[in-house]
Amino acid sequence: MASGVGVNPQCLSAYQELKLGKKTKYIVFGLSPDNTEVIVLKSSSSQDYDEFLADLPETECRWAVYDFEFEKEGGAGKRNKLTFFSWAPDDSKIKQKMLFASSKDALRRSLVGIAAEVQGTAYDEVAYESVLDKVSRGA
Amino acid sequence: MVNYGGDEVSALVVDIGSSSIRAGYAGDDTPKAIVPTSYGYVKETPSTTEDVTMSDTTEGEESKLASRPRVKLYIGQNGPSLWRENMEVNNPMQNGLIANFDPVNALVSHALKDVMRCDPSEHPILVTEPAWNTQENRERMAEIMFEEFQVPAFYIANTGVLNAFAAGKGSALVIDIGQSTASVTPVVDGFVLRKGLQYSSLPQFVMAHARHLLATPAARRQGISLVPQQLIASKEPVEAGQPPKFTLRQDRVDKTTVSWRKWAEEREVEEWMQSVAGVIDQGYNEQFAHQRGPKHYEFPTGYNYYFNGIERHVVGEQFFHHSRQLVETNPNIPKNLPALITQSLAACDPDLRQVLMGNVVLSGGGSQFPGLADRLNVELTRTFPHVKIHAPGNPIERRYGGWLGGSILASLGTFHQLWISKEEWQEHGRPIVNQRCK
Repeated sequence: MASGVGVNPQCLSAYQELKLGKKTKYIVFGLSPDNTEVIVLKSSSSQDYDEFLADLPETECRWAVYDFEFEKEGGAGKRNKLTFFSWAPDDSKIKQKMLFASSKDALRRSLVGIAAEVQGTAYDEVAYESVLDKVSRGA
Repeated sequence: MVNYGGDEVSALVVDIGSSSIRAGYAGDDTPKAIVPTSYGYVKETPSTTEDVTMSDTTEGEESKLASRPRVKLYIGQNGPSLWRENMEVNNPMQNGLIANFDPVNALVSHALKDVMRCDPSEHPILVTEPAWNTQENRERMAEIMFEEFQVPAFYIANTGVLNAFAAGKGSALVIDIGQSTASVTPVVDGFVLRKGLQYSSLPQFVMAHARHLLATPAARRQGISLVPQQLIASKEPVEAGQPPKFTLRQDRVDKTTVSWRKWAEEREVEEWMQSVAGVIDQGYNEQFAHQRGPKHYEFPTGYNYYFNGIERHVVGEQFFHHSRQLVETNPNIPKNLPALITQSLAACDPDLRQVLMGNVVLSGGGSQFPGLADRLNVELTRTFPHVKIHAPGNPIERRYGGWLGGSILASLGTFHQLWISKEEWQEHGRPIVNQRCK
């Protein structure tokens, strides 16, 4: 079941830049004001994870792709994993939750090469440690 | 081209459950019409036709019905709840599915035309279905909507997915407790994992248990008579625990049908459960239960009693735990909630279990039993480390979660392109329903 919401080509180009350019650290996606397509809200190269968390508002839904970098256990070196976030806080409006949940598939399918997915409704679920735990499993 | 995002689809949303049919305009936050699904009917001699009759179904139906005696249907708020001579009560639902389509037309028509006063041929319509609905059933529903109600467009959506989406989750374990069925539906990326789907008639069992409890004499009270108010002529106030003093309406008793009596008594039990019963959130223990203290309740007969904590909570406990004695004497006992959840998870991929347990969505009127959500949390955290239950605090959101999800979905301008239009139905026929509505 889908909402029929489209994906702005801008989202793909921003994602390609993140994937290939290795400059961008994360992209935050949202819906256009008339709720018809997915657009890029922010594309940042900040290395600070807390800054990324600050871009997930308390009462609004978002999607994001984060280039998650971590040290593999046992000194096996650094790994990078592109992580997809679905952010739907409990306090957001039900209409928004519905819109984002039903439109996620359209965006997610157009992004090739995502290694991990995180579904978050509260900040503890998207905290660095819990994401690290998820991402490093099976790495 | 259609103006996307205008959100002016003016679609209708119909959610058919075993206790009520919810209908309303897409975009609203509450259904406009809530019609009881149970209906009354009286078999009558062919001559009087005034109300809604069964014969105004499809033409094929009519020829079949001709051989049967004509029946007069009584539907809606004044349907089964008003006493009528020789009126039987029936419900078209079985295990959450529509088992008998004959009265569904009349019920939906009542909700849309009589209660909402709208013309279904002018609005696209979104209908919900449980995850275990059959292909035949959904095609039949599409047929009724297009052929009978002449709707311009149709869509059928899964309540499990709608509930998950309404909570903002693409993946979730949806626990839906209704009047007749409790179900556990794993939803992953907007699709139902069919192998993990579990459901049972647990709520019916809980109700039967409560009824038995009331009817059986206990240490300090007699067995309680559940005579409904419609059959009571007069009553006098009595002290708590004393035998009731009431007189029956003898003129009515003889003309009351067994099915109506059963329906009315079940309503009494339900009312008692809703006012008095609960679940001990920390796990059942007689001492805890006793500490909860007594609650007063008066039945239509005038009999009133202070039900102690044990009686009040042993009923809710049936959702979670059946005593060994009960299991031994009753081999067909429906699976309780922990069993449903464990079996559902066992059928899912181990990697998914953690995601599902972190996103449990609780829905349905039966989930509003006091203490149920807390108890579920206690039960689940015992076996899984990261449990998070999403239970909307707003009772409307909880009871009508499926309808609400459908309401939002159908109100989206962008959803417009996904409807099955009348032209498509006429061109492709039944198979298009399964192609489009996945």
